[in-house]
Amino acid sequence: MPRPSHLAIAIAAFMLMSASAGAQEYPTKPITLIVPWPAGGSTDISMRAIAESASKVLGQPIAIDNKAGGSGTVGPATMAAAAKPDGYTIAQIPITVFRLPLMQEVSWNPDKDFTYIIHLTGYTFGVTTSAESPFKTWQDVVDYAKQNPGKVTYATPGAGTSLHIGMEQIASMAGIKLTQVPFKGGAETNAAVLGQHTMLQADSTGWRPLVDAGKLRLLMVWTSARSPNYPDVPTLKELGYPMVYDSPFGIAGPKGMDPKIVAKLHDAFKKALEDPAVIATLAKFDMVPNYKNTEDYKKFVAEITESERKVIDRLGLAKKTN
Amino acid sequence: MSNDSDVKFRLNNSELWGGLIGLALGGFVIWSGLKLKLGTINDPGSGYVLFYTGILMCLFAAAIIIAALAEGGPSFGSRWQNTRWTKPVIVIACLVAFAFSLDTFGFLLSSIPLMVLLLRLIDPVRWQLTIPIALLVPLGMWWILKRLLLIQLPSGIFEIG
Amino acid sequence: MDTLINVAHGFGVALLPINLLYCFIGVFIGTLVGVLPGIGPISAMSLLLPITLSGTPESGIIMMAGIYYGSMYGGSTTSILVNIPGEAASVVTCIDGHQMAKQGRAGPALGIAAFGSFIAGTFALVALMLVAPKLASIAIAFGPAEYFSLMVLGLVVLTFLTQGSMAKALLMACVGVVLGLIGLDSITAQPRLTFGRVELIDGIGLVPVVMGLFGIAEVLLNTEQVIKRDIINTRITHLLPSRADWKASAGPMSRGTIMGFLLGILPGGGAVVASFGSYALEKRLSKTPERFGNGAIEGVAGPEAANNAAAGGAFIPLMTLGIPPNVVMALLLGAFVIHGLQPGPLMITQNPGLFWGIVASMYIGNLMLLVLNLPMIGMWVQLLKLPYNILFPLIILFTIIGVYCSSNNVFDVYVMIAFGVIGYFMRKLGYEPAPLVLAFVLGPMLENNLRKSLILSQGNLTTFIERPISAACLALAIVLLVSPLLPAMRKKRELVALDEGA
Repeated sequence: MPRPSHLAIAIAAFMLMSASAGAQEYPTKPITLIVPWPAGGSTDISMRAIAESASKVLGQPIAIDNKAGGSGTVGPATMAAAAKPDGYTIAQIPITVFRLPLMQEVSWNPDKDFTYIIHLTGYTFGVTTSAESPFKTWQDVVDYAKQNPGKVTYATPGAGTSLHIGMEQIASMAGIKLTQVPFKGGAETNAAVLGQHTMLQADSTGWRPLVDAGKLRLLMVWTSARSPNYPDVPTLKELGYPMVYDSPFGIAGPKGMDPKIVAKLHDAFKKALEDPAVIATLAKFDMVPNYKNTEDYKKFVAEITESERKVIDRLGLAKKTN
Repeated sequence: MSNDSDVKFRLNNSELWGGLIGLALGGFVIWSGLKLKLGTINDPGSGYVLFYTGILMCLFAAAIIIAALAEGGPSFGSRWQNTRWTKPVIVIACLVAFAFSLDTFGFLLSSIPLMVLLLRLIDPVRWQLTIPIALLVPLGMWWILKRLLLIQLPSGIFEIG
Repeated sequence: MDTLINVAHGFGVALLPINLLYCFIGVFIGTLVGVLPGIGPISAMSLLLPITLSGTPESGIIMMAGIYYGSMYGGSTTSILVNIPGEAASVVTCIDGHQMAKQGRAGPALGIAAFGSFIAGTFALVALMLVAPKLASIAIAFGPAEYFSLMVLGLVVLTFLTQGSMAKALLMACVGVVLGLIGLDSITAQPRLTFGRVELIDGIGLVPVVMGLFGIAEVLLNTEQVIKRDIINTRITHLLPSRADWKASAGPMSRGTIMGFLLGILPGGGAVVASFGSYALEKRLSKTPERFGNGAIEGVAGPEAANNAAAGGAFIPLMTLGIPPNVVMALLLGAFVIHGLQPGPLMITQNPGLFWGIVASMYIGNLMLLVLNLPMIGMWVQLLKLPYNILFPLIILFTIIGVYCSSNNVFDVYVMIAFGVIGYFMRKLGYEPAPLVLAFVLGPMLENNLRKSLILSQGNLTTFIERPISAACLALAIVLLVSPLLPAMRKKRELVALDEGA
């Protein structure tokens, strides 16, 4: 419900740089960055670190606005519908922005409604279960699910997220049926699996402190190679599912932004990606920078939409043509 | 109390109308819920909760209507008895006019007349006080927001403020 | 013994001059954003976050925490003085607090709110030190089914907030739920009830709804009174609560504190549910429930204690599990992580200085708040001496500015004016706005958790009664719903209703 108050933005702006007034060029006021996930998750914290570093380059504070829901599309969709393309409202663009339009009616068009700015990084995903759960390995889950179809529940940060699609792909390959329960983000899925409300959790590395503390058990990771932090945990490929999921993401603004402003934002965020403090924060979540410039990002969007279309079709999740 | 203060079947029974409005809203919510798809009970859709909330609204509204018919209720006239009903109407009219002018004329050109009107119309404040308050308070707020806090209030077509 | 050593160590950290300074800045900003309607702790904290990065992690987090509980203090001031709740948790404070102010008892109302907050805050901190790790399990014991039942209980309890017709209160609660669901569906991202307006895609903001229903509607209602008033500036006898006030408030405060602390641990909605749960409880226990809604000091003391204790309880899941129970805590989590610390099961043992330092600083911060706020009561009460015909236009102007600043959106000003008019007619016809606002906050959570629990149980409704916590909440809700229908209770309620009609 709460939205970032511009008065509060201004208090911060005032305290930050009461000296540097008068510059007439963009940006002349604080910028809002929409993060479509709840505060406190891995995306939120890494985006805050990146934004903090970029704001130093831009000379204006960047306010994070957490607009969670709809598998990370509520935020970008709201921006596409309502924000002015003046560079003062931008959003993190998760892969669901491209995927959901393939699965159902949505209010935005990923090809037309955004001005893509820069591609930033991707996630490390993993599947966990409570330490008290009888599942010791992924094979235990498969065995149990074969006997009890649909009884195995897993928490995801939303329907249509890579976690949801990935789990469905795994299930179809293993010949089992799992039940997805869509939450809004990492903080919620952590609580759900810890309290054993769902049997499994499929999410990005927000589970790390709980796994380190022995409260959760990590069953697999979805990266191409094993994570250096968890050398004993197998990857999807090793378990016999030839897939890698990293859900790359970047940022974009509403359609029709001035290329000059896009270039300014691009440069600032590129600098932020090179900042050692940002790299350190990303590393906490097993994330590494994956820089793509504005042009490459646009091409990448087209590629990813195509590859997603194939997967969605294969899983039978595509929206009915009309 | 005048004898029309407690009416049952009369059309100016305010309780009855309150219930009827509730019933209409409930019906609309049910319809919206159906349009948004209920989904199944294993996987409720977007309209699921709206649909059932709408049904509840209709039930409660029906309870209000029944009570209004059975026990009667105060008429509209009695609700507004001994009040200066013109005053809220004037304030609402001022606010609506303000809402329309805010985007076009900007904060300063809208709020200064609003303040003059409100100060003079609710219970007239002396002009000697009205003018300074109506001018200084909006100007002061505008200055604080713009200069100290860097917030842009709407400036309107004349770019004032 | 370990605890004592740790506490001593914590005070050592908290009493460092630099940390004292940060703590003071934090509670000061917190009080300020709490008092100003429309600006909550979330926006202030999310903007000050970068500034805290320059100092040590302790200083930064001490300041952020200060903003949070400082705003909980400040929020009651506008509720009591001008009937505009600064945030959802202080909606309840409006009901009796503002009535007290109208009767010339703004001083005791503000005083009891400040003391209640202080006492509850202190208790919550002591509890935090002693039992934090053990209570962590409460936070995760609540799954979707439990939340759904808790929200249902919350919605039922809130009908106790109102006088007169229960059907009306329930109808208002339903309207609130529907209004809360406007915007994109949180699960499927479909637009709902937006009528094709882009402004509604994001849903209706809480701030314009609250300011309209409470602030503007209150002014409209007051303008139609033939002015026998000057009520407020007639007799302001005491600035501080009298002995009788204390006696009446002691019970509500202690019950509110415990309830608030326990509910505060729960992720989502804890403080809001706690504040009106406490109100309902006190009204139920009171020998004279008809005084509630007409300036009962218990109705201020209980909820204020509850929402401050909840602020303390909210630290437990964050510090012990790394799970933030609300947005404010999530921002603190962000601050920890950016400083290179990961709250979670290992933090208290790995980083005792930090944990105990923060807890100790919160105690000091609470003390500062009391010292800061008590002298200001006199100042606030003076404000009410302004003649009403100047005060009302000023209130309208400030609500407009507050709403605009909260979103930078002219549309929200329209929404506020519309809700002001709706609120005026609602009040004229005997429909109370409080259930609507609280249902507006709880509704989306209710929907989301209902849908999740149905997915989890595969459409099996018995899940709600098979799970003990959920069953207990629902049973309590049913008892509360049915009891007014019993003859004895019914009589009592009618008495209250008559009173209101007079």
